[in-house]
Amino acid sequence: MLKKLLTRYGLVPPAHPLFAENWRYFKQLNQNKPLADYEFVVFDTELTGLDRHRDEIISIGAVRIRNLQIMVGETFYVFTRPSRPLPKDSTLIHRITPQQIESAPQLATVLPDFISFCGRALLVGHYVGLDVAFMNRACRRHYGAPISNPCLDTMRLAQTYTEMQWQQYHDRFRMDISYSLTALSKEYGLPDFTLHDAYEDALQTAYLFVFLIKKMRSKGIVTLKDLFNAGQAWRHLF
Amino acid sequence: MANKKNAHDIAPETVLEFLRHTMPFNELDDNSLRDLAKHCIIDFIPKGTVIFRQGETEVEHFYLIQKGGVKIYLEDDQGEVTLKDFRGEGEYFGALPIIQNTRANLNVETVEDTFCFLFTKAAFRQLLVSSPRFSQYFLRSLSEKLVNTAYAELRHHRVSPRTESALFLFSTQVGTTVKNRPQTITADASVRQAATRMAELHIGSLLVTDSAGEIIGIVTDKDLRTKVVATGLDYQTPVNRIMASPVETIPSHAVCFDAMLRMMRRRIHHLAVEKQGEIVGMITTHDIMLLQGTSPLYLFREIVAQRTLEGLHPLARKVPSVVRSLIEEGAKANNITKMITVLNDHILERLLTLLIEELGPPTLPFCWLLMGSEGRSEQTFKTDQDNALIYAWPDDEKKAAEAEKYFKQLSEKAIENLVQCGYPLCPGEMMASNPKWRMSAPEWKKCFDGWIMTPEPKEVMHSTIFFDFRAGYGDFGLADKLRHHLARTIPKQELFLYHLAQNALEARPPLSFFRNLIVEKDGEHRNTLNLKTKGLVPFVDFARLFALKHGISESNTLVRLQLLHEGGHISSEMYHETVKAYEFLMQLRLVHQLHMIENDQEPNNNINPANLSDLEKQTLKESFEVVRRLQSHIKAEFRLGER
Repeated sequence: MLKKLLTRYGLVPPAHPLFAENWRYFKQLNQNKPLADYEFVVFDTELTGLDRHRDEIISIGAVRIRNLQIMVGETFYVFTRPSRPLPKDSTLIHRITPQQIESAPQLATVLPDFISFCGRALLVGHYVGLDVAFMNRACRRHYGAPISNPCLDTMRLAQTYTEMQWQQYHDRFRMDISYSLTALSKEYGLPDFTLHDAYEDALQTAYLFVFLIKKMRSKGIVTLKDLFNAGQAWRHLF
Repeated sequence: MANKKNAHDIAPETVLEFLRHTMPFNELDDNSLRDLAKHCIIDFIPKGTVIFRQGETEVEHFYLIQKGGVKIYLEDDQGEVTLKDFRGEGEYFGALPIIQNTRANLNVETVEDTFCFLFTKAAFRQLLVSSPRFSQYFLRSLSEKLVNTAYAELRHHRVSPRTESALFLFSTQVGTTVKNRPQTITADASVRQAATRMAELHIGSLLVTDSAGEIIGIVTDKDLRTKVVATGLDYQTPVNRIMASPVETIPSHAVCFDAMLRMMRRRIHHLAVEKQGEIVGMITTHDIMLLQGTSPLYLFREIVAQRTLEGLHPLARKVPSVVRSLIEEGAKANNITKMITVLNDHILERLLTLLIEELGPPTLPFCWLLMGSEGRSEQTFKTDQDNALIYAWPDDEKKAAEAEKYFKQLSEKAIENLVQCGYPLCPGEMMASNPKWRMSAPEWKKCFDGWIMTPEPKEVMHSTIFFDFRAGYGDFGLADKLRHHLARTIPKQELFLYHLAQNALEARPPLSFFRNLIVEKDGEHRNTLNLKTKGLVPFVDFARLFALKHGISESNTLVRLQLLHEGGHISSEMYHETVKAYEFLMQLRLVHQLHMIENDQEPNNNINPANLSDLEKQTLKESFEVVRRLQSHIKAEFRLGER
């Protein structure tokens, strides 16, 4: 019982070999290498809604970053069939129709593929906590353990970057800053995205991530550790 | 199901859309594009990063700029930096080193935060091999195809078609309009016989043959009217007394436009069509009018038929509508400026003829000189008057005073009427009404000699348009003699040529386009581009300089260039690229001005790059590159260092 609980919270190695290998690797991750030496997988999910207990993932989009460049050729994009039929109103948000996911596999069968795709990369997402919470709920239910890959949140990175930019004390009280993906892309002058699905959003997040990392790199953030110290912008999520 | 199989196989719509709208990727089919999009790498390069270092960087990728911009520059041993270009969204770098398999040939540095799509060397090479249209774009940018596409684009986007006219005038060869063998009549036949023949055959002309059957002349219905009936000539007169000889001919492979131009110039209605030295038929103004709706010929006829000055005034304003139909039919700027010149020449000739009828005959032979763009036969819609007057040497003072009185009156009235026809006054007062530019032949010779023998830089600058003069009306011999004198003297006047060369380097073309701005040499930005001063003037200056240096009497820029090429004074490559670039700039200006006229604006030469398509910008850029090559040629030839 205790073992199960410890596994559930990532404190002892999981039973599933794929999960176990990831767990061991990230347990001893060297944080002092330059940022360009790490691989990242930027991902985004589409959900049926925002309730962590009831709603489900219906689409995952991801793209790999190596050498701080976006590898368009290394992508992952799937639809998944939720256990309950799609609520009508959610179609308005993600524009996925019930027909599109009718024949799609269930999340449980897709997860190992996704974890293999992520491999030893660090995960990156915009407000990543939400996506990971949904992902881990499914992982725990079907494989008894969460994903071990550390996660970086581009929203937190953007906040840190903005704080680094702040010259004057009173800037800290500026309340008019929006940290949505679209608003940030616009503020930093990143290319426009017209399409919004899990894949294109992951790609847009990847642009934001690469932009932020390279901008912060020129301000002395060289290693993963530096990034962590700069604003606690990343953390292990379990 | 399909879903799972393709989990790793997606072409991002964002990349695809970008490629579909970017030259030359838009030439590729959708499958190739998808494949390319799937394998690209997206890189972010912060402002101020050097991506390529000349001679050092091994170029592994072709870079296409999605957002942001780079500058491209050369650095010599002394660390001297020469800016070569700016590249912005939708533009690329790295193609040349990949094609030539060398290291980076130039430095590339981001001037803004920049996102690029990177394609591997192998993928880029694969495209070059598999798509000829793609490779052509990179191999020689100012290619025939590119220029032609640019012309087509200019025509389609700027000149909204008004009529569904085909390209008749410019595509139909004279030979194909010939229906019947030419009808002939012997030289000793009477004019009555000729008239009977023509009436029987329902034709307007007969070719006249000698006893050996050789064609020696032509007799037309007009000859019968004016030379026989009107003068009461005996109908038994042999036709060889009234025929025109020799017969004006045109090669059968010439296009109808050339035939029309020739008929307008000579003011005739019939041309014999010649094929391999043999007359195969006739082409008439009527044949051409059948091919043509809004015909320049109608306007031409109206001009020639005018009997009053008042009737002449509105006709010049009809020129734009004629030109529009020509552009729609695919005419190039060179054809059009020639056409405008012919029409304007006829208006001038009509106008002066009517004035002389009013004032009485001149006391001395004179010639109306056209200068500047009129002199070069390169008029567009807005042409300031640039003219002068030369007359024969009066023997005594009394004659001189009479001449001065007469020509003052003539030129003042002429200028006034030209203004009413819509030709604006010259702001620099370079007009025949200005006593300074109304002189006897020896005085003109002295004036030119002054410029040539003791040149002052400033005077050279102001006098350049005089060196483009041509005879417009009157005794052409006076102008020819002066021209001949110049062609003989100038090649020896090195100091004059040196100043002229320096003057030709004054107009510096802009460096590049960046966003919707024009980048000047020092990296400064401007909004609008003066096509005339920045684009066309350097070509005109170049042609004038070398034409004068080599004793060429022609004033038209393209003809000057052709003669320079034929004389072996400029290389074949330089000649061809110069002509292409110059014609494109003329076309761009013409279409721009036509567009303004149709929107009720005063036509000008200022182009806003925001209104240009990518292709037009690209072609313009290439044209500026040609200007730079011409100017370095001048520098080398006249040993003028970089200033």
